[in-house]
Amino acid sequence: MSDDLTAAALVTELVGDRADGWDREGRIPTEVIRELGAKGLLCAEVPARLGGLGLTSLQNGEFTAHVGSLCSSLRSLLTSQGMAAWAIQRFGSKEQQVHYLSRLTSGEVVGIAFSEPGAGSDLFAMSTEIRVEGDSVVLEGTKVWVTGAAYADLLVVIGRFGDGAAAAIVPADAPGVTVERVSNPMGCRAAGHAGVHLAAVRLPVDALLRGAGQPLSMLVTSALTYGRVSVAWGCAGILRACLTAAARHAKSRRQFGKPLAEHQLIGRHLAELLVAEQVTTRVCEHASRCWDSGSPEMITAAVVAKHVSAGHAARSASTAVQVLASAGASDGHVVARAYRDAKLMEIIEGSSEICQLMLAEHALAVAS
Amino acid sequence: MTLSINQPTTTADDVEQDLLRFLKQHTKKSWEPDVDLFASGAVSSLFAMQLVMFLEKNFDIAIGGDNLTLANFRTVNAMTALVRRLSDE
Repeated sequence: MSDDLTAAALVTELVGDRADGWDREGRIPTEVIRELGAKGLLCAEVPARLGGLGLTSLQNGEFTAHVGSLCSSLRSLLTSQGMAAWAIQRFGSKEQQVHYLSRLTSGEVVGIAFSEPGAGSDLFAMSTEIRVEGDSVVLEGTKVWVTGAAYADLLVVIGRFGDGAAAAIVPADAPGVTVERVSNPMGCRAAGHAGVHLAAVRLPVDALLRGAGQPLSMLVTSALTYGRVSVAWGCAGILRACLTAAARHAKSRRQFGKPLAEHQLIGRHLAELLVAEQVTTRVCEHASRCWDSGSPEMITAAVVAKHVSAGHAARSASTAVQVLASAGASDGHVVARAYRDAKLMEIIEGSSEICQLMLAEHALAVAS
Repeated sequence: MTLSINQPTTTADDVEQDLLRFLKQHTKKSWEPDVDLFASGAVSSLFAMQLVMFLEKNFDIAIGGDNLTLANFRTVNAMTALVRRLSDE
């Protein structure tokens, strides 16, 4: 589809050779984020009827991988914006969908807040409270590591709501909201991770997404399923960047009188990098096809894709650093970034261990 | 999987039969329509979301907002009632 190619070319041009600098400075220029946002590219799966580009999961996945191959921080913003948009599409009323999604496809940036100081993998320990008081909705709590929050105009906040859970849309500048940037993130350093403190934040009740009161597990699983597919594609991008960097270096760098690539131990690294990129792309494609066809399998396929992709990305980034050696061992270099960024991919959107626990539970339920 | 889908003539009985088939296929055992699937331990959190997807796809409905409560998915009877209600809207 020509839109995808145009979008990919636009990002290539916007990022240029600047991702290294963004990583070292821990910031992406706001105008870059706004430009992508205004073109609808931060959440490209929003349907055309709601003002979006209406890309399929497969199309947006390839686009996400392309962004991820250039800059995982920028890719993280796509993941969080897309996840927030999906949550609004999934849980918002028709009026809320139209209102918020038109804003998210015209330049405004959104973060989505799950984790808390006492609720990381154990999201059921979440204590942020959302309650309705008259014609207001009130939020109280503390969120941590909210991707993109440092750039955000809006925050989708997940919290307890009576016996269930709810999501509310909070303007980042609303009274009672404090956003504090994570000072030195190990990876995705320019993704604007921040803690968000909500001190009795009071908003008009229409900021509460209509699907309030549903079980926390349903709300979280639904939103995170989008995030998992997106992270998995981002890992495919990391792998492509690592494969390219390692292959180019192995071809040009000479040691012991011949190119590195002609040393068999290096050749094996290249082969395994290629396998990792191929396997990752295939599981991502499968998850996206499940998503696009509305298959029930997409929930599990997303967990499998995220788990497989993050593991491959982390191991392969380590391999790429090994092949590049001193040439890639400074902060900002594409493989050095990949090494740090990929490690975080094994942690976010369900750590590898949480993915394994979910898949084990699923195996017992359906295959025993 | 052969299912009669998206037919305007879909009856409550069809919905129930399709659901029981889907459950049997994925859990490898037969279910009664009034059994609490979640209490039985047979339904993982991932499978609960798969049930939502299955209902949406096979009966051409959108389950959003305040219909996404666990109570609507606890039994085959509850899901059948949900499908009937949303199909009429």
